[in-house]
Amino acid sequence: MAALVLRGVRELLRRADFATAPRRHRHKKKWATTEPKFPATRLALQNFDMTYGVQFGDLWPSIRVSLLSEQKYGALVNNFGTWDHVIAELERLSARDFVNEAFSHWKLEPEKGQPVASAPAPVSWACSPNLQCFTFAKGDISCFPRARLGSLGVLDYYLMDAASLLPVLALGLQPGDTVLDLCAAPGGKTLALLQTGCCRNLAANDLSTSRTGRLQKVLHSYVPEDIRDESRVRVTSCDGRKWGELEGDTYDRVLVDVPCTTDRHSLHEEENNIFQRSRKKERQILPLLQVQLLAAGLLATKPGGYAVYSTCSLSHLQNEYVVQGTIELLANQYSIEVQVEDLTHFRKLFMDTFFFFPSCQVGELVIPNLMANFGPMYFCKLRRLT
Amino acid sequence: MAALGRQVIDWHRLMRLTWATIARQTSHLREQRMTVVSLLRPLTTASRGGSLKELSCVTSRKYMQEAECRTDLSQCLLEKPGTPVDRGALGLEAITTSLLDMGFSDAHIRELLSIQPRPTPQQLLDITSELILLGLNPEPVCVVLKKSPQLLKLPVKQMKKRSTYLRKLGLGEGKLKSVLYCCPEIFTMRQRDINDIVRVLREKCLFTVQQVTEILHRCPYVLREDPGELEYKFQYAYFRMGIKHLDVVKTEFLKYSITKIKQRHIYLERLGRYQTPDKKGQTQVLNPSLKDIFRVSEAEFLAKTACSSVEEFEVFKKLLAREEEEGPEGCTSDSEEGTSSGEDAGDGDSEEEFTDGRN
Repeated sequence: MAALVLRGVRELLRRADFATAPRRHRHKKKWATTEPKFPATRLALQNFDMTYGVQFGDLWPSIRVSLLSEQKYGALVNNFGTWDHVIAELERLSARDFVNEAFSHWKLEPEKGQPVASAPAPVSWACSPNLQCFTFAKGDISCFPRARLGSLGVLDYYLMDAASLLPVLALGLQPGDTVLDLCAAPGGKTLALLQTGCCRNLAANDLSTSRTGRLQKVLHSYVPEDIRDESRVRVTSCDGRKWGELEGDTYDRVLVDVPCTTDRHSLHEEENNIFQRSRKKERQILPLLQVQLLAAGLLATKPGGYAVYSTCSLSHLQNEYVVQGTIELLANQYSIEVQVEDLTHFRKLFMDTFFFFPSCQVGELVIPNLMANFGPMYFCKLRRLT
Repeated sequence: MAALGRQVIDWHRLMRLTWATIARQTSHLREQRMTVVSLLRPLTTASRGGSLKELSCVTSRKYMQEAECRTDLSQCLLEKPGTPVDRGALGLEAITTSLLDMGFSDAHIRELLSIQPRPTPQQLLDITSELILLGLNPEPVCVVLKKSPQLLKLPVKQMKKRSTYLRKLGLGEGKLKSVLYCCPEIFTMRQRDINDIVRVLREKCLFTVQQVTEILHRCPYVLREDPGELEYKFQYAYFRMGIKHLDVVKTEFLKYSITKIKQRHIYLERLGRYQTPDKKGQTQVLNPSLKDIFRVSEAEFLAKTACSSVEEFEVFKKLLAREEEEGPEGCTSDSEEGTSSGEDAGDGDSEEEFTDGRN
């Protein structure tokens, strides 16, 4: 009898007000001591098999095996350190600077048969400058040694997925730009933005305070004090969706590297995996959140300025869908015209280092392949016209 | 039919093979040789007419040839120091006849007798007869002994003991032949080691007796494996790949190296082309047959089963080797504590507290 009553009470309580607070924020008293029978990583893989099997067809198996295998890293050279020594050392390891190679690739083969008027803009204009990132050749699985502290008191290079550098390159920073990084943590792309040396002011924001803490640590380890001075680099922990209201029409360049299902990470890390059953709702409204963030980022862009949207997911719904949805939203609700920038030429520059998906409707997608296990990384460049 | 008849005769002859018989024959032969030699002298010195001469010539010629052979060989044997001369010369004749009786041809016998390092004739006879008794034909016996002369060094007692054991295991005749061709150490290895392997197969892997025989017959190299590794290989097949006992035996799974097994299986698994069957034995993908995975060449495997390129598989093999080496930790520590060393496994991810979705 007592048991029945208890059970009834429990049901009631469950249905009551507690439903409003997201389940993950409630205090968890008991932690499981055994592993879940059906881990979130497996749920993630199932989800991917279903959606990407259809989306990519015959390409999917090779993407799948790459996602499940060890990823490849690139070494972003720290320009604030003794970078010439660092470059010599990296070259000794038989790595090469893929950015430099891409530029020289263009120089050696200028577009043939194109009338001058529609010739592509010189690369130096289209790509953010001063970025030097080393990778090993296609098929080479060597690892970089851990970064060390150089003589100038900062670490010599930052190991990251080389594909993560492409959105920053595509943004095409110019000297003196005011830059906003809307979802900055854990800080790889923010660091790259600073490496260009073009940021008059950089605003880096991330909702999570712990992740912003990581961002700060990265800046401390890599950037000298005068560059990361508060007047020049401002780190905040606010809700990125508010930026349209807070600082509308302010920035020359905006990077919106939204939270996504982090495909590669979700297949390996069990902890806090977004494919957990308890986070299903959250995952389902993710595209909506991404639209809101991109809209805010575009609102914060000056008319005539540029924004780059990027994710590390392969999903249509989080990539092209979001870009197209946001453009429509801004046109309808705010009467703001946004144009998609064609990155075909940009893509061609980097084809020696990365594998690209050939049929994106808008933007570009780096797909993982065992020969070059970078990505996934989707990026799309937008220009705010009005 | 004729072969069968020959076999019957052979066996018939074998039946009569006891040491007593041999001894008797030896003495008999000795007399015979004396007689031949004595016969020869009068034949050559005094010519007699007709058939008797021819007949005796023919017989004597045959005996002459054999005697020559034997004298040659006995001379060779005599050259070898430390061999009891008269016994050696004596045993040789007995051996040759016994070998002939067992069904060896002259060519075979010559081969056997020329094996280096030279065994004692008695030894040679003992070993060969054991092998014949186990059901091997003369030709394979020759091949085996030539290939692995160390077998001739075995003490007879061990040989007999091992033969009994092999018979108990069900390994004889043709099965033994194929095992011996690859794995002659089935006779020379320690009983304890064979026991270990058989025990792993019977008690740990739970194969039936017939299945164990079949495995030893088809995949004799399991005898060379470390028992622990053999068990691991089986467990990989059974639990990780979901292959049942019957299929393990039928497809000769145990003969492939664990490296090759893991490479091909994990590659297919990660491609999404192989799935371990669940409790009910079902999969969402149609798994390729084990033959198409393991028995085919690598080129065919990649072209037909995996539908992937050679370069990708090469890279995969290297990555897998590294993964195996490093165990559960990664090559570069994925993140959480990685900030000071400056690593970022792809921006926006790899975080101890992912986010609650809002940034």
